[in-house]
Amino acid sequence: MSAEVAARRSSVFWVALFLIGMFGTGIGARVAGLSGVWTMIVMLPPMLLLIPMIRSVERSSAAQGCASPALQRYNRRALTWSFAYVAMLFLAITVNDRLHPQGPLLWAIAILPALPILYMVWSFHRYLVEETDEYLKMRNIGNALVGMGVVLAVATVWGFLESFGVVPHAPGWLVVPLWGFGLGAAQIWRMVRGA
Amino acid sequence: MRNRLKVLRAERDWSQQDLAERLEVSRQSVNAIETGKYDPSLPLAFRIADLFGMPIEEIFQRD
Repeated sequence: MSAEVAARRSSVFWVALFLIGMFGTGIGARVAGLSGVWTMIVMLPPMLLLIPMIRSVERSSAAQGCASPALQRYNRRALTWSFAYVAMLFLAITVNDRLHPQGPLLWAIAILPALPILYMVWSFHRYLVEETDEYLKMRNIGNALVGMGVVLAVATVWGFLESFGVVPHAPGWLVVPLWGFGLGAAQIWRMVRGA
Repeated sequence: MRNRLKVLRAERDWSQQDLAERLEVSRQSVNAIETGKYDPSLPLAFRIADLFGMPIEEIFQRD
């Protein structure tokens, strides 16, 4: 087995473990009827799987010859915003549950989990500015456009279905995981096609 | 667009990784250019031409 195949299998393993850990724990917490704060606490261990996952993806990228310093910096920033997001969400839910704030404090608490996501948007912009490898840049812009297409398509269709009372309301923050899903799907599609 | 990158690289006994390091790009970029999946920008095409000491049109040709 070549080093490239071994690295790719390792990254698939860690990505699968992370997704199973996150979804499995999330579903388990819901079934057990845990409160918001306890859900956040039990979600932390599977969240830590992000670290070996990102490292294995980096090793796989290096073995496939598509690693770049800009991409490494982007991955480090992704770790930062991911953990910051969990911390901010934990803080916001805890303060909201215990203090039941009103007025400006409620606004501040509600906006807190959005800040790491804004940092994510900025970090993707930084990646595009810092990436000197034009082929990798073109590929990643293409992947991001697929993500954006998925967001526009799903949000538009869902929005009209919601307006006509066919489906329940969906929170606006779902656009971020939806974008990530589209981007990831485009990456996997390229990997499968060898493009 | 066709190119002679693979032949020129083989003549010098360079791997894709060797060429990628000389051009300061990823190995995937070299592979994509060689296999015709990606046409390089003019600045990168000039860098390739400079590296091989040849005019661009001797490396890249129209289909």
